[in-house]
Amino acid sequence: MAKFRKSSGGAPPAINTSSLPDIVFMLLFFFMVATTTKEIDPMVKITNAQGAGVTDLTPFKQRSEVDFVYLGEPIQGDKDRFYKGVAVQYDGLLPADGINYIGVWKQDKFKTKPAEFTAPKENVITCFKADERVPMGIIFSARSILQDLDFNSIAYSAQEMGNLNTYNIHTK
Amino acid sequence: MAKREAPEINAGSMADIAFLLLIFFLVTTTMDQDTAYLRKIPKKVETETPPSPTQDKDIYKIAINSNNIIQARDSIINPEDITSLNGRIKHFYLANRGKKTNRDIHYPYYAYGSVALYQSNMDEQITRLNNLLSIENPDENTLKRITQAQGAIDQWRAKLEMAKMYSKYSGKREMPEIAFQAHIRLESFNDTDYSAYIAVQSEIEKAITELRNKEAEDLFGVTYTTMNNQYQQQITENTPEIRMIRERMDLIETLFPLKLIEVKPRR
Repeated sequence: MAKFRKSSGGAPPAINTSSLPDIVFMLLFFFMVATTTKEIDPMVKITNAQGAGVTDLTPFKQRSEVDFVYLGEPIQGDKDRFYKGVAVQYDGLLPADGINYIGVWKQDKFKTKPAEFTAPKENVITCFKADERVPMGIIFSARSILQDLDFNSIAYSAQEMGNLNTYNIHTK
Repeated sequence: MAKREAPEINAGSMADIAFLLLIFFLVTTTMDQDTAYLRKIPKKVETETPPSPTQDKDIYKIAINSNNIIQARDSIINPEDITSLNGRIKHFYLANRGKKTNRDIHYPYYAYGSVALYQSNMDEQITRLNNLLSIENPDENTLKRITQAQGAIDQWRAKLEMAKMYSKYSGKREMPEIAFQAHIRLESFNDTDYSAYIAVQSEIEKAITELRNKEAEDLFGVTYTTMNNQYQQQITENTPEIRMIRERMDLIETLFPLKLIEVKPRR
């Protein structure tokens, strides 16, 4: 039976991988479009608060009109070192005087913005990314410091909860 | 000499290069979007002037205590019932809307402006300005009044434009405007949780957005949210379309203003 005779031994034919780069490039472009660059590595633990009807900050980020302040328990080190156990992270910094450093930081940041950045002082948003258990007193101290320095735009960070309709409020 | 065929470039390592790039982007980027509630801090005041008295009917007071229990006007709301705030805030805005008699005395009243009214107000200010300008050798007081009159003219002109736009799209002659003192007052304690505070902010935002969306849908056939998204994306471009969207948004924001006073906690 010549028809079914095994073809003369040897290695199986190689798989054609010439379209592999195309597939990988496709994945690459997907991730380039769907993600945004990471600002910094977090040094504080943050569980986002939930809310509906939040504003997307991406257009503001593209115009570098927004500065982020992170508030929460420190990931490393003793949390009792900080007032009420809440560390405040400015870019890569966890200063010991916590929220009172915000004035110095904001002014430095505003001075070092690039020349093409034209938004006036009162339109530069300070976004508070706070853990859900952060007491509001701290944020209000920051508000009064910012008010004295004429930084009048702020934002309270929250995660869009969609149709879940459950706020995670803890009763004490 | 015969032309030699160019040797084919080996593309075998192309996949490796692409993988390298892919992994680099995977590591340095995040998927989650930054979303937040935008708020304004009031400008600091140089001189301490006592705030003008506001009647109770114009204030919607919400207080959150350190146990995250919410008090909205006279009712106590437990954290699990917080979604009822939405309806309460809407009622605060809508209770007297469109009413001229039989108004509920516990909620803010509405004023009804028309094109004719704003026009006559503006004309009055223009006559005043002309009279002031005709004074020879104006003293300091007169100059002050001139700037005052100019400011008033600008204000009435803006109102007039809005009233024209409103009657054009709604077919009504009168534009309902909520009392300008009407506001939501949000009080918290030093130990109020951020999440509880945000939940209340969320309910306020939701109520206002729903009111605005409905109004915008009725007037222009587009929701306020859609207009706002488009505006934020193209804010830097000064095209006629963007200017038109801004004008429409201004009208909606005048009809349903979000006046939120966040009070610094005392306890």
